[in-house]
Amino acid sequence: MTYTARVGIAVLVAVVAVGLTSPLGAWQAALEVSPDIAGQGPSPAHWLGTDHLGRDVFARLQLAAGAFAGPGLLACAVALVLAVPLAAVTAYRGGVVGSATRFGFTSLAAIPRFVLVLLVLSIYGDSSVTLALVAGVSYVPMLGEAVFERIERLRGEEYVLASQAHGLSGARILWVHLVWAACGRLIGRHLLALFGFYLVLETTLSYIGGFGVQEPTPSWGNMLVFEWGRRSVFDPALLAPGLALWLTLAATGWAAEALGEVEHG
Amino acid sequence: MLALSLVAVATAVQLLLWAAPGDPIDLLPNGEELREQLSVEWGLDQPIAVRVLSYLAQASTGNLGISLAYRPGMPVIDVLLQPALTSLGLLSGAVVLSLAWGTALAVWTRGQRRQSRRLVRVLSVAPVFLLAHIGVHGINELTFSLIEAGNIARPAWFALPAEASLVRSTLAIVLLAVGSGSLAEIHQEVEQALLTIRRSGFVDAARSRGEPTTLLIARHLLIPVASLAAARTGFLLGGLVILEKVLLINGAGAILWQAALLRDVPVALGITLFSAATVCLARLAADAVRIGLDPRLRGGSR
Repeated sequence: MTYTARVGIAVLVAVVAVGLTSPLGAWQAALEVSPDIAGQGPSPAHWLGTDHLGRDVFARLQLAAGAFAGPGLLACAVALVLAVPLAAVTAYRGGVVGSATRFGFTSLAAIPRFVLVLLVLSIYGDSSVTLALVAGVSYVPMLGEAVFERIERLRGEEYVLASQAHGLSGARILWVHLVWAACGRLIGRHLLALFGFYLVLETTLSYIGGFGVQEPTPSWGNMLVFEWGRRSVFDPALLAPGLALWLTLAATGWAAEALGEVEHG
Repeated sequence: MLALSLVAVATAVQLLLWAAPGDPIDLLPNGEELREQLSVEWGLDQPIAVRVLSYLAQASTGNLGISLAYRPGMPVIDVLLQPALTSLGLLSGAVVLSLAWGTALAVWTRGQRRQSRRLVRVLSVAPVFLLAHIGVHGINELTFSLIEAGNIARPAWFALPAEASLVRSTLAIVLLAVGSGSLAEIHQEVEQALLTIRRSGFVDAARSRGEPTTLLIARHLLIPVASLAAARTGFLLGGLVILEKVLLINGAGAILWQAALLRDVPVALGITLFSAATVCLARLAADAVRIGLDPRLRGGSR
């Protein structure tokens, strides 16, 4: 495993762990308004200082990881459950149903993901569960198409024919040999990309406002706007959310290196 | 095939609409009083199959329904036409620019220079809203300090992004072509294609005959580049929605955002169809390039 892949995995694990445990903490420092310590710089008590309402920026940064960690994982689960079994079974069986599924994936992939998200928000209204579900669904065509293509290509390979000749059941060949062994890394890379997409989606929506996480609940997106113009551009309280977002996104890319595969064929 | 794809998209979004709790009448302030009349008028009393078919039939004649909240009473097609052209302009600019940069970078790195490749990836991974935030405020601060120091007069586009100007749309195109991983992914894919082509037998053969290979390689590179352009179009459209909103450009993306906030479903549906059609057209164009360049894809015999 490369050095950057290790760093990426470590960063991702840390961010997700903080995000998943953050709703359990007592977050007075992150949410309680205390005017007497407003707008302070970094200090041992407040590592990244306080915002103009006197809330601890470092605590808010951690709490904000909860805005995407849980829903992001939910989105990954949705995409996995909806796309992989459908694509795998129809690709292995082939025939008219296979072609129709393939065509459905390709057609629906024509809707840009962000456009689909906004369309669904306009129909169903805004909540973080809706957002997670639609983010997961929006990845189904892409993930399904990738898995379909690979299994369709592999199902005529000699090792698959050999397994069939040995009398292995179709289910075992499909799930163990084709999905798990041949598509595992491919699926993993797509799910990492989906997690990154959810992170971008959530921070973008709350940065622009109107959808997603709203004040006083922190998100790395709305923290960027909230303190804007009140302090120097290079103040840690302003740099931190942007850098945290950038680093986490880079980490999803680095972690994907661990799931790289040798091109064959 | 193209038309079938669009039909599939339109059917899917109609099913989405049908599965939603409530109906558009709930969103009207005086909806309940007019419920009976409206549900007949909008065909809500019909079964879902009939509704899908009638939407398809109307959409094919350019009738996408009436805006409910964004511009109440205005046909969706009139709401969309002008902003959609703005968006298409920005989009094609970004597609061309990102391909040009990606290809230039790929030719420069050619499987070497690992550090530069890493740098491109890290810079490019930043989401477009973050880049727009940095870009807008960076340019504004710089210009402001120049004005303060008396070096320049106040330019017409100052301050971004309030004034419509060439600077603003250029910024949108440049950021779209870089951000959210665009540049890095195009760079990587073109580089991969370039390496494969350079290793191919026909390039070796041409080289051994002493022919120049640059044109040959460029010709073969056009095919993957065209497919890549089609594949990236949808992704860039999504980024454009965000950039139009952040940079206050009045394009289809900004309208989609507004329509989603106001829950104006016909407008949002219209924009979804428009963007899906754009992506399908890009795929069609890529296929045309492929068929144009690859004689094996022409004619019946393979």
